[in-house]
Amino acid sequence: MEEVGKNESIRVLLEDKVVIAEGDIDLAGGPLLDAAIARVESTEPLVIDLAAVEFIDSSGLRSLLAASRRAESRGTRVVLRRPSSGVVRLLTITGTTEQFDVEEASPA
Amino acid sequence: MSAVSPTLPAAGSTAAAGPITLTLPPIPTMVRVGRLTASSVASLADMSIDDIDDIKIAVSEMITVLIQSGSRTNITLRFETTATEFAVEATAPTPTNDLGRNDLALAIAVLEAVADQHHVASTDDRIMIRIVKRLSPIPTGSAPSTRA
Repeated sequence: MEEVGKNESIRVLLEDKVVIAEGDIDLAGGPLLDAAIARVESTEPLVIDLAAVEFIDSSGLRSLLAASRRAESRGTRVVLRRPSSGVVRLLTITGTTEQFDVEEASPA
Repeated sequence: MSAVSPTLPAAGSTAAAGPITLTLPPIPTMVRVGRLTASSVASLADMSIDDIDDIKIAVSEMITVLIQSGSRTNITLRFETTATEFAVEATAPTPTNDLGRNDLALAIAVLEAVADQHHVASTDDRIMIRIVKRLSPIPTGSAPSTRA
């Protein structure tokens, strides 16, 4: 597992082409997530593990949506693995759940 | 039998203390600082865990909008608790009053979902965002609720 970015908000890791986000995906954390995603984007589904995300806001969601749009342009999808309850709630209230494939939602 | 406190909400001490003001530099790392401060202030108002989570999201959106609107000077957050509501107002001078230049739709959608009221206003040189969360009476002896 490789740590590819860290600041006051977030820690981002890569493991077997899976992007793992820990902490807060906000205006400060989003750019580090973007950079990690850019490293593994391909024609394969992009998997982002969000089990350890403690907070996300719309600026963080924009990072995920941008990745989803790019994935669709490559003919593939973004998979959100084990999204935390905060992630699930933000996807729900913004009506953006359908933009992603969601795996193994964590218990609320 | 559960009783409901007749005088609501157990926020009296906070309300009596008056508004709380926080000034933040307009940089991304300050979004988290504002959010954590909002969480602490909201907890003083005896808000439920779910409501505090909503306040954290709202404040994060408010600060983010102001930073992305191009503010170069400090952002001011003002927290005010009354007997019935918890209000947060965020203001900042900005070089433009054209809110349409920013992708606000997602942030506004989030504010609509987490706040009971929200208001965004701009003048020639300033943007103001205000949200209000109603305070609910907490049944005596009950623990804070959690979202299902």
